[in-house]
Amino acid sequence: MDKTVKIALAGEGGQGVQSVAMILTEAAAMEGKEILYIPNFGVEQRGGVSIAFVQIGDKKIGAPKFKTGDIVIALSDRAVRRVNMYAGHETIFIYDAGIEGVEDDLPEVAQRVLAIPALETANKELHPRVFNVLIMGALIGATHVVTLEKAKEAIEKKLGYKFEQNPKLREMNFKALERGYEMVAGTGVA
Amino acid sequence: MGEKPIKGEQKAFMTGNEAVAWAALAAGADIMYGYPITPQNEIMQYWTRLAPKYEKKFLQTEDELSAGFTTVGGVLAGRRAFTATAGPGNVLMQEPMSMAEAMRIPTVVVVQQRGGPSTATVIYSQQEVTLTCFGGNGEGLRVVYSTSSHQELFDYTIKAFNTAWKYRFPTFVLADGYQAKMRESLVLYDPQEKGQKMVPTEAFVGKPGTPGEDRAPAHLRNTYNIEEELMDELAKDIKEYEEMTPEITEYEEFNTQDTDVLIVAHGIVFRSVAMAARELAEEGLKVGYFRPITLRPFPRQELQKAAAKAKQILVVESAYGQLLKMVKDNLYGLDVPIKGYLRPGVGITPEEVVADVRTILGEEE
Repeated sequence: MDKTVKIALAGEGGQGVQSVAMILTEAAAMEGKEILYIPNFGVEQRGGVSIAFVQIGDKKIGAPKFKTGDIVIALSDRAVRRVNMYAGHETIFIYDAGIEGVEDDLPEVAQRVLAIPALETANKELHPRVFNVLIMGALIGATHVVTLEKAKEAIEKKLGYKFEQNPKLREMNFKALERGYEMVAGTGVA
Repeated sequence: MGEKPIKGEQKAFMTGNEAVAWAALAAGADIMYGYPITPQNEIMQYWTRLAPKYEKKFLQTEDELSAGFTTVGGVLAGRRAFTATAGPGNVLMQEPMSMAEAMRIPTVVVVQQRGGPSTATVIYSQQEVTLTCFGGNGEGLRVVYSTSSHQELFDYTIKAFNTAWKYRFPTFVLADGYQAKMRESLVLYDPQEKGQKMVPTEAFVGKPGTPGEDRAPAHLRNTYNIEEELMDELAKDIKEYEEMTPEITEYEEFNTQDTDVLIVAHGIVFRSVAMAARELAEEGLKVGYFRPITLRPFPRQELQKAAAKAKQILVVESAYGQLLKMVKDNLYGLDVPIKGYLRPGVGITPEEVVADVRTILGEEE
């Protein structure tokens, strides 16, 4: 990786975008990468659009804010409208296929706009709780900023105590990660 | 004594607030006094988590006035004491820090700037520059370090304790909500292991012996009856402040020999400016930067030297002219034009700085 990868990940408060950013950046830190992760936070404790700005590279990261992301992910209709401004000519814009009424809000300039059935897959095949881990898989599929193995290690580090009590959770999380990865890795964006 | 919190050099990936708490531990701080306000809350949170393990103390007060005065009290008792605040909390903090200034109390305050005025945003700004440098009903006889990364937050929090205790002026570490909340890598270390000695602390009051016989009496004053008496005291403080100035001012500069545009910025904004200046310089454009690290005392001579070789100065800040005002004040008498790129309460990207410099250069053609 010779370039810093800039990621903006946005969703509704409670969808777990900051948790995804935490685990992803932990994985990158374990790989010895340079990272800058800044959560966008408002006065509200719950609700509202939550955005994680993440930059991962081999060199020290410069400024915390950027104008254009390499990968921009939106997980709700409001999130699409909030982060479409971070899309440029080289941006891959990913959103959940289940989001309705955003046809006019998708960034026309983006290099690629990709709808993935993340929520549906999580709900039907896995469990709604691992939706965000599935998104993390998709993010890794699009950027390869960390390996799936490191991501699993970081998940283990974060959620290991829960897995102790219920080993099925581990299996489900790892499966969600892989399903998300496949959704994007197969589309030729990365 | 508990065991040493940090052994050897440890690479860490954490928030800026966490870095401050670790730095205070590494510096051997004894106690933190504080009142919660976003975005500095986690300094208290991490400190209270770490403190009991190393026999350190914490006191939550009823507001920032009290947090500031208890910090002063802790120092008077000879403790390496500190507090942290932001925004409206920093406004209240000025009353006790004004007292610290009057009595030459080596307090350490970490400020994580948020949007202003008033409650405004909990997010970010550089709008507490004037307040932190010149707040209170005095002359701003304080030291203010403006950091731009987690490594600096760690380094300068440690340094702040030493500057405060060596020169006995209240010392501030000025960061912001971005630095507070973002995560990036840094190296934690024990300053003593690196040969950086911590200036020893001592009690101001309650010393052993009879005052006037065994030792000089502690004579701490913030009240004067006669105008001239105050003036004499201030003249002594001002003289000592000015003597200290060349010893502690810090700055950073790039490409300052013969520039078409010299960009001046501090804190986190400096990172965008550095990226912009380097990108433009690589294209062969005569663009450089000057970054004051100490905002008080300000590196006046160094900026003047750089400014004398510049055709245009551009001050970039997330405030509406607070740094700009300081720059103008310090460059009085030079005829170089000064422009501002001013974004109160909003982050500034390198792309914006590049665009603004290009506009300036275009105008000159």
